[in-house]
Amino acid sequence: MSHSSEIQPKDIAKPVDKLGEVYSLMVLSAPYDKEGMEPDLKEPKDSWKTKFCASLDGFIALDTLVRPSTSEEEDEFVQKFINGLAKLFADSNNNFLQPLQLTMDYCAKCNTCSEACHVFEATNRHELYRPIFRSEVFRKIYKKYFTPGGKLLGKFVGADIDINWESIARLGELAYRCNLCRRCAQTCPLGLDNGTLTHEIRKIFSQEMGIAPTALHTKGTELQLKTGSSTGMNKLAFLDTIEFLEEEIEEKTGRKIKIPIDKKGADFLLTHNAGEYLAWPENPAAFAILFEEAGLNWTLSSSMIGYDNVNYGIWYDDTMARKVALQQFEAAKELGIQRIVIGECGHAHKAGIVSSDRMTYGEDKVRVESCLPLLWELVETKRLTFNPEKNNFPVTLHDPCNIVRHMGIVQPQRNILKAICPQFREMTPHGVDNYCCGGGSGFAVMQSLNFPDFRNKISTRMKFQQILNAFDEELVTNTDIVKYVCAPCSNCKGAIRDMLEYYQATDRFNIHYGGLVELMVNALTTLEQPYLTFTDE
Amino acid sequence: MLLTIYLFISVLFFIVFSAYKAWKYASMPIHSRLELYPVPKEAGRASYGGSYYEEVEWWNKPRQVSHGNEIKDMLQEMLFIKKLFENHQRLWWPSYSFHIGIYFLFLWTICLLIGTAWPEQAITYLINITGVAGFVLASIGNIALLIRRITDHDMRKYTTPQEYFNLFLILAVLLSGIYAWSGNVLFFLPREIIHQLLTFQALQVDPAVLIHLILLSFMFIYIPLSKMNHYVGKFFTFHKVLWENEPNLPGSKVEKELMEAAAHPPATKWSAPHMNQD
Ligand code: SF4
Ligand code: SF4
Repeated sequence: MSHSSEIQPKDIAKPVDKLGEVYSLMVLSAPYDKEGMEPDLKEPKDSWKTKFCASLDGFIALDTLVRPSTSEEEDEFVQKFINGLAKLFADSNNNFLQPLQLTMDYCAKCNTCSEACHVFEATNRHELYRPIFRSEVFRKIYKKYFTPGGKLLGKFVGADIDINWESIARLGELAYRCNLCRRCAQTCPLGLDNGTLTHEIRKIFSQEMGIAPTALHTKGTELQLKTGSSTGMNKLAFLDTIEFLEEEIEEKTGRKIKIPIDKKGADFLLTHNAGEYLAWPENPAAFAILFEEAGLNWTLSSSMIGYDNVNYGIWYDDTMARKVALQQFEAAKELGIQRIVIGECGHAHKAGIVSSDRMTYGEDKVRVESCLPLLWELVETKRLTFNPEKNNFPVTLHDPCNIVRHMGIVQPQRNILKAICPQFREMTPHGVDNYCCGGGSGFAVMQSLNFPDFRNKISTRMKFQQILNAFDEELVTNTDIVKYVCAPCSNCKGAIRDMLEYYQATDRFNIHYGGLVELMVNALTTLEQPYLTFTDE
Repeated sequence: MLLTIYLFISVLFFIVFSAYKAWKYASMPIHSRLELYPVPKEAGRASYGGSYYEEVEWWNKPRQVSHGNEIKDMLQEMLFIKKLFENHQRLWWPSYSFHIGIYFLFLWTICLLIGTAWPEQAITYLINITGVAGFVLASIGNIALLIRRITDHDMRKYTTPQEYFNLFLILAVLLSGIYAWSGNVLFFLPREIIHQLLTFQALQVDPAVLIHLILLSFMFIYIPLSKMNHYVGKFFTFHKVLWENEPNLPGSKVEKELMEAAAHPPATKWSAPHMNQD
């Protein structure tokens, strides 16, 4: 199809190779407004097109959605989807029924939500990525099969859609073109939530059809439930890692710290995204340095899933989310601890504190909180003292959607940065109005086939633009000075890492990224050496 | 007499079915938390979108809730359609004109009712002001919304025939009303008809009034059946979803609801292989 604005939701079944081509992208700020500053998009390989569903926009997120070889298999696939759709509106989906039904019932097609979406804007308003495009496809199918109006009046009420393998598969892919950031929902005059609707579509694919990206399911929640961590790290590997961390701390700071593990009687259990231990060990190390210096009575856990706070289930599958969350509560209870503090991971915040809040009750439940207020308390009460001059370089803050828009934790992280980073500046917009990093809802860990292209080029584009703008003055005029994007979230860091690499922004313009605690340790008055060295990214 | 009965039934249907819709949403099971900040009831924090999670050991801190803030936000939304104003001003003008017109017509109806018992000059003024404002604003808004929907490529693409029908139906009611009621003495006729209705007299009406009343009654029956009953839904989307951030603490109402829900486990099961493993 030529111009994307001609595409309509009912075209989802159209027998074309690609429903919509991404042919133009939002122009980035200087110096990225010139040709040759970023790689071009690539065509998917022919072998991928015949094996998977590349017929939406050429990208493939669902590496487990394989084209059927017989028409029976096609029919079975469609039937399974319809069965799953029915279950979404039955007692099997009690925990989402009300929000789902409301969003299904009331959309006024006013398009107020469109401009809120960074994916839509990054593609110069490509129709496929309009928040209600996906919702309308879904709504039309729902009406056609499940509402009296749709069955009786068909086209009149909008139930004008053909349903076949291609249309359902494309809808499945579409459910992975949205970061579930819910920025669109913030603007809807009727309070509807296209992000949650996307989440529900993902659930049909996973919970009924057994289809989810490998990175989220097989190598995510399943691996976590089997080994203790979605990284595959088992208890022994975890204990080794902690030893390594202690050595690193000693080497970097000269401090001999014994990181507490499984300490009964600790005031709280600190949990990290286990990916930190592998990709950014300086982050859990920084927590240990701060907590030890402040004299807190804390511990890590080495029991099953107690050392990995991720919960990919919240992006695609309620049952997996529940299994992981309950196991995490269990890890604290084993130690007799009633308080979990979540480290710098956005979706772990949301999963551990909000999403799992109503999964259980009474004795089974443990109180969970964010590390950010605690860190701010250490600064505010001067339990730790800082020399902000040590952080005298431009710093900007990325607001992880899960922590900020979805949880209302806005100020503590800003208060800290204002206290320890003299050149702190906000992105525009920020706080609860922030844009997603583009890695949300699993995109940061989905590395198969050509999906990283979609992430780097499209879903992270708005965030990259915001970063460029935040460093506006210094960006080109002073490539010698370090510029730091503070992202207190593992997934966001993953997305930002890949983005900076893709656009070569570290090499070209000295833009670096990292967490919040690293900046705190770097500014500790008691530390002689800088903690941040900016050498090996 | 048939017309009287039809009118009464349609209004009754409007009320009963709207209430039924509300009851249906209200009786849905407790759901996972899906709040979105800013949540206006977060006293002292709503202005920047903060929540009680900004406190260390939040569960030990007194919960600061401002119902005043919540009501203020709700009123701003009801009276001014604030979200649309902030996020889509071009559409706000017609939409606001339409909605405020309907509010005036609601007031007009109340004034007409009062007027039957209290036929003072003051109420006549009120009837005239609310009626004229209501019909004019609602009609202008309605026509502008229709034009917008037809001429805006992006909106047109997503609009179903039913959604045009909804707007045309209300427009027909409004225009037929204007035609029927704007006789020599403004709004003399509706006052007369209300009087006849309340005293259960058979209505004596000319064809223009008859058409208007038939359309009006049909609209009363149709609205709660269509998504135009968003006056019901909007309460739930905000109060029960986006602004609902009650934590599940021991002894809380949420905990009680969860216990009740646990007593009725779902009968329907999902089918993917991993769903039925432990
Ligand atoms: S949730 Fe976020 S990514 Fe998804 S449609 Fe809405 S704004 Fe776009
Ligand atoms: S803003 Fe709300 S009502 Fe308007 S199109 Fe978006 S989801 Fe529908």
